[in-house]
Amino acid sequence: MPPLSNLKIAVSLSFILFIAGCHSPTDNQNLIDYNAQFPKISGGTLINAMTGEPSGLISMIAGESASSAISSNIFNSLLKYDKNLELEGDLVEHWDISTDQKTITFKLKPNLKWADNNPLTSADVLFTWQAVTNEKNASPYASDFLLVKKAETPDPQTFRVTYDQAYAPALDSWAGLQILPKHLLEGKDLHTTAFARNPVGSHYYKLDSWKHGEHLKLSRNANSVLGPARIDNLVTRIIPDNSAQFLELMADNIDLMGLDPIKYSRIIPARPELQKKLALYKELGNSYTYMGFNLKHKPFDDVRVRRAINYAIDKQEIIDGVYLGLGINIASPYKPGTRWSNPRLTPYPYDPAKARALLKEAGFTDSNGDGILERDGKPFSFEIITNQNKEREKSAVLIQRRLKEVGIDVQIRAIEWASFISRFIKTGDFDVVVLGWGLGLDPDQYNIWHSSQQAPGQFNFIGYNNPKIDKLLEQGRLELNPDKRMDIYHQFSATLLEDCPIIYLSAGYGLTAIHKRVKGIDDPAPPAGIGHNSQDWYIPQSLRRNEISAH
Amino acid sequence: MLVGISLISFFIMHLAPGDITSNEAAFNPKASEESRQKLREMYNLDKPIIVQYGLWLKRMVTLDFGQSFASHQKPVFWQTTDAEGNVTEGLIQQALPITLMINLLGLAITLSLAIPLGIIAARKYQGWQDRSITLFNFIGFSIPGFWLSLLLMYWLGVVNNWFPISGMHSLNYESLDTWDKIKDTFSHLFLPVVIPSITGLAGITLFVKNGMLDVLQQDYITTARAKGLGEHKVVYTHALRNALLPLITIIGLSIPGLIGGSVIAETIFAIPGMGKLFYDAVLMRDFPVVMGILTIGSALTLVGNLLADVAYAWADPRVRRGVAKT
Repeated sequence: MPPLSNLKIAVSLSFILFIAGCHSPTDNQNLIDYNAQFPKISGGTLINAMTGEPSGLISMIAGESASSAISSNIFNSLLKYDKNLELEGDLVEHWDISTDQKTITFKLKPNLKWADNNPLTSADVLFTWQAVTNEKNASPYASDFLLVKKAETPDPQTFRVTYDQAYAPALDSWAGLQILPKHLLEGKDLHTTAFARNPVGSHYYKLDSWKHGEHLKLSRNANSVLGPARIDNLVTRIIPDNSAQFLELMADNIDLMGLDPIKYSRIIPARPELQKKLALYKELGNSYTYMGFNLKHKPFDDVRVRRAINYAIDKQEIIDGVYLGLGINIASPYKPGTRWSNPRLTPYPYDPAKARALLKEAGFTDSNGDGILERDGKPFSFEIITNQNKEREKSAVLIQRRLKEVGIDVQIRAIEWASFISRFIKTGDFDVVVLGWGLGLDPDQYNIWHSSQQAPGQFNFIGYNNPKIDKLLEQGRLELNPDKRMDIYHQFSATLLEDCPIIYLSAGYGLTAIHKRVKGIDDPAPPAGIGHNSQDWYIPQSLRRNEISAH
Repeated sequence: MLVGISLISFFIMHLAPGDITSNEAAFNPKASEESRQKLREMYNLDKPIIVQYGLWLKRMVTLDFGQSFASHQKPVFWQTTDAEGNVTEGLIQQALPITLMINLLGLAITLSLAIPLGIIAARKYQGWQDRSITLFNFIGFSIPGFWLSLLLMYWLGVVNNWFPISGMHSLNYESLDTWDKIKDTFSHLFLPVVIPSITGLAGITLFVKNGMLDVLQQDYITTARAKGLGEHKVVYTHALRNALLPLITIIGLSIPGLIGGSVIAETIFAIPGMGKLFYDAVLMRDFPVVMGILTIGSALTLVGNLLADVAYAWADPRVRRGVAKT
């Protein structure tokens, strides 16, 4: 059989050719005890991965999460959140609020420097404010900063802003605005400047190299305004596919990866070799999934119907079925454990009997015996739309089943994101959506719930209109005292829960696997998440990856 | 021709709902509708489509493909240099060489395997060799590429650590010497090149086999055998040349694929090529990039077809004389 052996030779030849180009594995990792005690030392490289590449590193222009994930290691803001999500100074030593609550004075820390050794002063802060509010830059985040009536710099260390009226979310907005260097950007077009791919910042790290479509490498900034970080280099590889990322994690080519519930609770625990080298972390995520009603459509304008549907849905079933138990049931649109979340509220329990009673009270009966309720001869039937997101689709399926049990007929449609937004959300052409909201760190949710925010493209697309809520939202914006503000938002969440314009389905946990060579991680995670002290993470010398053989 | 293609693709693209401001990242309560409107004005997206097309065409006449909406206004096609000498590379300029290299290597491997396999199958027609090659082809043809990719990535990359799993280069690529750089690149390219060639093998092998079977039954082969020529000479000198003629057409037809790349393979292997670029641009409604790729793609396709026709005429005298006789 000469032809076949020809083929064999050809195939094995090409194999040998390519294998010769690879490194032989030096796998002594199984012998290492990662749980031993190690001294805290600096150095080493942490490799992680993300699915998308940032478009640029000026996050006020780029606006996407990939950009801010990287740029938040390079740039500082005036303020930041501590591990309990309370505000503290970042570039700022302290800040004062005037008695009329309209003026905020920020005092910068002394002797701040950019990575290129130029001094960082209040002029840079003023420049950044001008940039974000400049119409030409069309920053998506401009609106908070346009409320500043006057911004001034009495001296190089002081920055003062005055608002027309007290604006409580202001402090949060200054915690989100990354300060840019004036001396490098003055007169440049922020949309095209090469600075976005070669930035100079003030934070723990500076950009070392950026290989398009492959990786970004950050190295320690000697001038870091908050002192040195322990790990020398942060490498972020761009790996669009989640399965490929997981394979890289298994092969020890990346140190850190966000997981989905299946990997977290099924795949990794089932493999001892992975358990040996990976530590799993769970933290409360920054978002929740909800089912929202189009309140302008009948019968969702009736609070009894909304409550009935809430009682008819088994939220725990969704958490267990869709998130494998890795989520919690919430009763307010705030992260549990933070001051804004009202601890006295409890979610609607699963109670189909109560749901049936409420529906009956609202005039729905099954008059023709087909199992579907009717009112005025019309069957109670609606469509849930959602975008193509697996968790949301699965949640919708569980909802469909539970609502059928109380006599409501539900169809489900999943739509590509851009079409979803422009064809259904903007036009208000929907009955019910299953979607998610991010849990902002500031409690102000004016844009989502206030009745004035219903124009196409604005975020109160469910058409919620409740004068009591409007008033609380307005008050909350005017009050800068955290304790008084807390009372306002506790009332706000209580009213919202009672009125039930949306049904909170679940808040999933953020799940992360980190290689055990990385030490110094807080477990269990504080409200701010495990990343809050990443500058103190360290990799003991003996556990470092042999950087020459790293693929 | 190109105007027609660009006109059609421009309008189809704008038929899709939404624009650059309706991507998922923009669904953020901190981003106001006014700022999205400003962005639309900045990119002329508020103008009627016909005006937008006119603006685009006007730039195209000077071969200016414009700037991406989504990637920090990177040039779509070729690099630009700003006042301080900072070079910004074009998106297609970065992606096209990668995709071309992978696909050309893949095509070379496919052809170098498919031609011998096709010949063997034709010579041993209905024999066990033919049957096992057909079976192998069917398996290769039916296996989903992404699935095979993930299995091989797991087996060769995780279990055995023979090949890198994804990416184009090692992280320490810059510090390697030239020989190691070549080795590094080849080991990274191995999986993304070999897997599509295995799954693409089936079609071409069958093609070669059928061409060969046809030719082997023709009179001049009988004549050659009657002359007493050795079987080897008959098959490889006389028959093969004619049997391979239709391959030129196949290769010509594969040119759009060569520059288009594959979204799935590029996503799995984390390769910044043309397929991923195009797919992301469509999802982001990044019109200049979509239009740039379609225009350059269709121009290259036309050139490819022309080259295939010319090559056909060169290889087959009957085509040259216009006597289309079989």
